[in-house]
Amino acid sequence: MTFNIHGGYLEAIVRGYRAGLLTAADYNNLCQCETLDDIKMHLSATEYGPYLQNEPSPLHTTTIVEKCTLKLVDEYKHMLCQATEPLSTFLEYITYGHMIDNVVLIVTGTLHERDVQELLEKCHPLGMFDSIATLAVAQNMRELYRLVLVDTPLAPYFSECITSEDLDDMNIEIMRNTLYKAYLEDFYKFCQKLGGATAEIMSDLLAFEADRRAVNITINSIGTELTRDDRRKLYSNFGLLYPYGHEELAVCEDIDQVRGVMEKYPPYQSIFSKLSYGESQMLDKAFYEEEVKRLCLAFEQQFHYGVFFAYMRLREQEIRNLMWISECVAQNQKSRVHDSVVFIF
Amino acid sequence: MAQNQRLTVVPTVTMLGVMKSRLVGATRGHALLKKKSDALTVQFRQILKNIVTTKESMGEVMKDSSFALIEAKYVAGENIKHIVLENVQNASIKVRSRQENIAGVKIPKFEYFTDGETKNDLTGLARGGQQVQQCRAAYVKAIELLVELASLQTSFLTLDEAIKTTNRRVNALENVVKPRLENTITYIKGELDELEREDFFRLKKIQGYKKREIERQLAASKQFVEEQFAEKVSLQKGISIKSAQNLLSAGEKDEDIIF
Repeated sequence: MTFNIHGGYLEAIVRGYRAGLLTAADYNNLCQCETLDDIKMHLSATEYGPYLQNEPSPLHTTTIVEKCTLKLVDEYKHMLCQATEPLSTFLEYITYGHMIDNVVLIVTGTLHERDVQELLEKCHPLGMFDSIATLAVAQNMRELYRLVLVDTPLAPYFSECITSEDLDDMNIEIMRNTLYKAYLEDFYKFCQKLGGATAEIMSDLLAFEADRRAVNITINSIGTELTRDDRRKLYSNFGLLYPYGHEELAVCEDIDQVRGVMEKYPPYQSIFSKLSYGESQMLDKAFYEEEVKRLCLAFEQQFHYGVFFAYMRLREQEIRNLMWISECVAQNQKSRVHDSVVFIF
Repeated sequence: MAQNQRLTVVPTVTMLGVMKSRLVGATRGHALLKKKSDALTVQFRQILKNIVTTKESMGEVMKDSSFALIEAKYVAGENIKHIVLENVQNASIKVRSRQENIAGVKIPKFEYFTDGETKNDLTGLARGGQQVQQCRAAYVKAIELLVELASLQTSFLTLDEAIKTTNRRVNALENVVKPRLENTITYIKGELDELEREDFFRLKKIQGYKKREIERQLAASKQFVEEQFAEKVSLQKGISIKSAQNLLSAGEKDEDIIF
């Protein structure tokens, strides 16, 4: 019950932000727009107004997405400034995923001799950290780790899963996924340490994330040169599917087998029942829908940090929706708009 | 008209022969070029039809591939574009060009080939991998179509040039070279005829002179004979007409003779 001393203000702020998320009515309006200028007009009536006001037309879809992301970053920074321990660590954990993406991007770019400034511009703003520019200086992975990564919060993930010899040869995607696995496990442990409602809700959300990644990795590695052992190494050590589901997933060779495995777990059965046989395109959208449902449920309880995580994720989904709608409008494919928009409310 | 002038040549029989053979050559060349032009025009129309269909399907395919890109971005995150781009070392689809011969015109043709495997099968492993692969397939199709369209358009342009040149040559032969040659031939023939007529005329004139000469001589000799006869007669009579005449005519000279 002492939550409100340190976290009350920010929880209130975050719930305020949540109230500003676009509703179904907003999405319907946006779906009926004919041009990007219409979209801009509609968005200026929402919270995105001040960010899009100064954009000259012709407006580009990437600009819209950039500005919305900017808003998200501003809100995050605002919350981070006001936070104390352990909330500030929690908030930082939320962005480690993006940090991993940025690091991998810069590393691959440096490997292929691209310009550092260009690479920095392409990074996700939520994942920026101070020494990120120095990543480009290192000539090989060993130096990279020794000079730069050791000081960042990502250091433990690198040391756990990769010895310094591996860094040179390993496929970038495998590296990224191994890092992400370590990050998820770390986050999970941290939440367990926090205890209380936070632990409950975050475990549920993180378990869903881990399971979803496991399924995706399985499906996407069917037919590639990723061996079963490598696949198993990429599955996280928690979640509903651990450990038996992972065993079964590791031996799957096509989508129907995956479906067979997943249908044994009731929460995922409903997702897979929406897909007809052999089709997996809608799987991603189904996962997003399920995620949004769970994230909204997180707001039902009070006095826990899960609301922050849920809010960030919901915002990201909203930005995805906006991107989808603007691209459909820009490319004159209005009929496909409703294929992938996930309504939050 | 300046175009129908004739060539300045010496109007001899040899030149006439030369001109005639050139005219024959020009006629044959004209017929051949006309055939070539027709063949090229047929090919041209064919290519035009192909271009129209390809461009229409191009619109569709580009639309599909852009949309596939959006789907990939949606599922795998906005940065997927950058992730893929940074991971690429060199192009795996390349274009080769080779020459083809259509009705005598060398036309470049492009074909694409895959050079080296992309190691990027694992892109978007945790999310969006499928969409990324689909996007890749859509764009490969778009590239195929683009390469084909590029081939067609270059052939179109080259054929266009070739047809213009051939038609120019055909027209030149028809409207300039042949009339000129024909005029030259007519001129030479005319000159030759005139020369012949001149010769003829000269011959005739000379014959006339000769005839008159003969007649004059005949007349002169006749008179001489008559005078001779008259002299003889007068001498028989004791007078020399001639000398009497001479006396009379040459009187002033003699002093003794007063009258």
